[in-house]
Amino acid sequence: MAGKVLKKKKTTWLFTLILALGAIISMLPMIYMLSTALRPNGALYEFPPRFFPRMENVTLENFQYILSQSKFLRNFLNSLAVSLTTIAAAASVSSAMAYALGRFQFWGKSFLFSLIILTMIIPGMTMIVPQFELAVQLGLVNRLFGLVPFYVAWVIPFSTFMIKGYVEGIPKEIFEASFIDGASIIMVYRSIVLPLAAPAIASVSIFNFLTAWEEYPWANTVINNTELRTLPIAIAGFFGQHQFTQWGYVFAMSTLTLLPVVALFIVFQRYFVQGLTAGSVKG
Amino acid sequence: MLKPKRFLLVLCLIMSVVIIVPAVHASEPVTLNFWHHYSAQSKENETLTNVLIPQFEKENPDIKVNAVSHEWAELHDKILISVSTNQLPDVMRADIAWLPEFQQLGVLVPLNKEMADFDSVAGQLLDSAMSTAKIAGDTYGLGLNTNSKILFYNTDMLNAAGVNVPTTTDEWAAAVRKLSGNNAQGQQVWGWNEPGLSGWNLAPFIWSFGGSLTNDEQTAASGHINSAETVNAIETFVSLVSEGALTGFNSGDIPMTDGFGTGRYAMMLEGPWKIAELTGAYPDVAYGTAMMPAGKGGSVSVLGGEDIAMFNSANKEAAWKFMKFMTSEFAQTQMATVGQIPVSKAALDSQTVQEQEFAPFLEAIQTAKARPTVAAWSKMDNELMVAVNAVIQGEKSAQQAMDDLAVVFDGLLKE
Amino acid sequence: METKSIKGKIQLGALLLPGLAIFLVFTMYPMLRLFWVSFREWTLSSMVNQPFIGLGNYIAVSTDRTFWTVFVNSLVYTLVTVPGQMMLGLFVAVLINNIKRLQVTFRVVYYLPVITSWVIASLVFRYVFNTEGLLNYLLTRVLHVSGANIRWLDSRWSGLTVAMVLGIWKGVGWNMVIFLAALQQVSADLYEAAEMDGCNRWKQFIHVTLPSIRGTILFALVMLSIGGFSVFTSIKLITGGKPAHLTDTLLTWMYFKSFSTGDFGYAAALSFVMALALGILSALQFRLMKSQDAV
Repeated sequence: MAGKVLKKKKTTWLFTLILALGAIISMLPMIYMLSTALRPNGALYEFPPRFFPRMENVTLENFQYILSQSKFLRNFLNSLAVSLTTIAAAASVSSAMAYALGRFQFWGKSFLFSLIILTMIIPGMTMIVPQFELAVQLGLVNRLFGLVPFYVAWVIPFSTFMIKGYVEGIPKEIFEASFIDGASIIMVYRSIVLPLAAPAIASVSIFNFLTAWEEYPWANTVINNTELRTLPIAIAGFFGQHQFTQWGYVFAMSTLTLLPVVALFIVFQRYFVQGLTAGSVKG
Repeated sequence: MLKPKRFLLVLCLIMSVVIIVPAVHASEPVTLNFWHHYSAQSKENETLTNVLIPQFEKENPDIKVNAVSHEWAELHDKILISVSTNQLPDVMRADIAWLPEFQQLGVLVPLNKEMADFDSVAGQLLDSAMSTAKIAGDTYGLGLNTNSKILFYNTDMLNAAGVNVPTTTDEWAAAVRKLSGNNAQGQQVWGWNEPGLSGWNLAPFIWSFGGSLTNDEQTAASGHINSAETVNAIETFVSLVSEGALTGFNSGDIPMTDGFGTGRYAMMLEGPWKIAELTGAYPDVAYGTAMMPAGKGGSVSVLGGEDIAMFNSANKEAAWKFMKFMTSEFAQTQMATVGQIPVSKAALDSQTVQEQEFAPFLEAIQTAKARPTVAAWSKMDNELMVAVNAVIQGEKSAQQAMDDLAVVFDGLLKE
Repeated sequence: METKSIKGKIQLGALLLPGLAIFLVFTMYPMLRLFWVSFREWTLSSMVNQPFIGLGNYIAVSTDRTFWTVFVNSLVYTLVTVPGQMMLGLFVAVLINNIKRLQVTFRVVYYLPVITSWVIASLVFRYVFNTEGLLNYLLTRVLHVSGANIRWLDSRWSGLTVAMVLGIWKGVGWNMVIFLAALQQVSADLYEAAEMDGCNRWKQFIHVTLPSIRGTILFALVMLSIGGFSVFTSIKLITGGKPAHLTDTLLTWMYFKSFSTGDFGYAAALSFVMALALGILSALQFRLMKSQDAV
């Protein structure tokens, strides 16, 4: 018995070691990004290349440049506004759909649900041409909030699917009791579904936030004005102009973009996990 | 308690806020959207946004200019997207090679027909620059700046290798080979940097070697893009690539300015903006300039430059004012100090411009040729890149690739 | 639950309406429009009227050499990255599941690449895999694995390899989290019973763990295959399709054809073929898993 415990201890140590090694590999690119952002642009092609900058070279000039010279704050606020609007709209719209689909029988329900699932299978990018046409017809091109309805449309299927699974797990009796008390469907949605499904809505919203925060191809296609650019376009715009890439600026901006997301993730990581697993384990 | 009706109302409100609010964006008197490809972090862009536009807005308080910087290739794509959806800006700074394509789409304003004072405005600009905007008898833009590429060489590297500045294409190929190898730190060094495989990059070689892209009428390419001279140019280029003497067009290569500034590329063919760029980023590098080496076809560089043009959908009066401003002596002189060769005759004569190091570029322009001024050029450009890449990858011989390309070019020129 | 009353029906409609409206306008309409356009000639020179050309666009797609290049690229990308990240993710999940301390820390660290945006991750990878970059320095000067710098970004398969390494690196965390959740739901009794039967750890993994998490594997497989075929940003920013479109994937090629050459009809046909292929692929994967269920 004692031998077995010892063996177990040994494997635990081995596992931890392997995991630690893997964790370092996972982190390397981000660390390198930060270390590049901290050195002057002139030191980028120094020889030999270094993973960490020389101590005497460490500088915040890239960050200062990004915060003062570029439209970083503007881009940041643009991304924030778009992401928050997207999650608010997506949360209200898909929780309502999820409740209707998860709790009621009505004509065409299974067809509707299959249709929603089907669109989950098709990558949003494939529709970029007709969606662009639509954006033009609706006057949504080159408008910051013109991005929102498209983002909402992209995340609706997945959000609805996730929240529906959660709503179906709420005990039937709770709903029945409310209806017997004379509550209307809308009242039940507000007083039961929203509060009880809050964890699912929260975790879905975190994913939706990420989707909107990092979305690049669509925003790059429909946004023209410099002041309307979101962070991903601004970062990519720094890159590759004139055969001359200022990596220090690129990575300083990237670091500043990544920070809020990492903070958000560390605070809400429990919800992240719940949101992911709700759909997958039931499968 | 929220009633169904009110709930619906709230939802509709949310929806309409999301969709409509951006649409009722406050409208200023007149806002001119101006798209260009001065790099976002460049001196040119600084001059544009900090000097020129404020000055223009001071002179014209009822007009606001919204200048948007796009990357070069992306600007072309953005225009195409916007044509398909009527979302064009008012004014654009267009590479002279794009004008025929946009003109064919029917979105450009024929200035000579619609602007009363066109002749007097055009008369103040170089004829050679104005001719770049002339398509089938009408003029669709004003020359904005002109340029050509000349040879830049790293003086120390040439001295160290005992190589003279090449003046002929044979000397050039030999010099490129001799300058390649490893430096003291064991890093690879290349004799030549060529940052792309498009016509802008390859045409100077094709022409100087005595070849051509199309016939003079620009109606067919067979016998030109696959002539012995053109094939010879491509073969020479590709053999330098495969010997590790020429690079720059790969995704993984050191960017041109960085590589030249840090002594990894010994020579390159570049335009006037490179001087300001090198002064800013690598002030210590010692370099000289020379003409494109001459071959069977002479020393032929590529004519570059931009026109400023307006679209049909523009506020024409305001757009024309801005175009006149950008080609005025003041604006042209300002831009000259950051590496843009003016096309305004008055600006060219001015003291400030005379002090710039434009002489070798102006000399190169004398013998430089323009890329084909046809609507299909962007597509031809892409096909040329694909064809030359096939030779580099060893999939086809240069002759074979150019023969195939001739068929493709002929087809595109007929469209 | 059925709703009988008119009032109830109206309220139910009110719940569905906003989502349905957005879904119909912004997803279904473009999809139908895409289908319609794919049978029309729509290029820059036929902008206004778009004549019906039957299967013309589909023929153009299927006879286009570049299409087959990019199709193979997308397929290879998916066939490599999907199993790659699933196996690594499962491996990490099993390890984490078997340790007591630091579980949360590891979960957070392994998940960080997932929340790093594609734009940022792509640029970092491009920088690391630069011919003159840190990785080549490491390989040639420190480890002496290679004599000369490897031109990672400059040829078809090495360029795709960089994108695939990025795809796997970025995907491991996602797989880890969902597999970890699945593993934690496998009943301990099953393992005990297997141990009684004398199964070692490996056999337990094969005979107990894998069958128990089959649902999750299917879920991951379907989601990741879609993701694999949707690869766009990393290719666009790492190689940009260079050299000469050899590293383009279905979506970057579709984007190029639409917005650089204006061949919208071609792009629509390509999109539709792709959507169809993904639909069939997903259906097949479900079938496969279902039939294994029956065994």
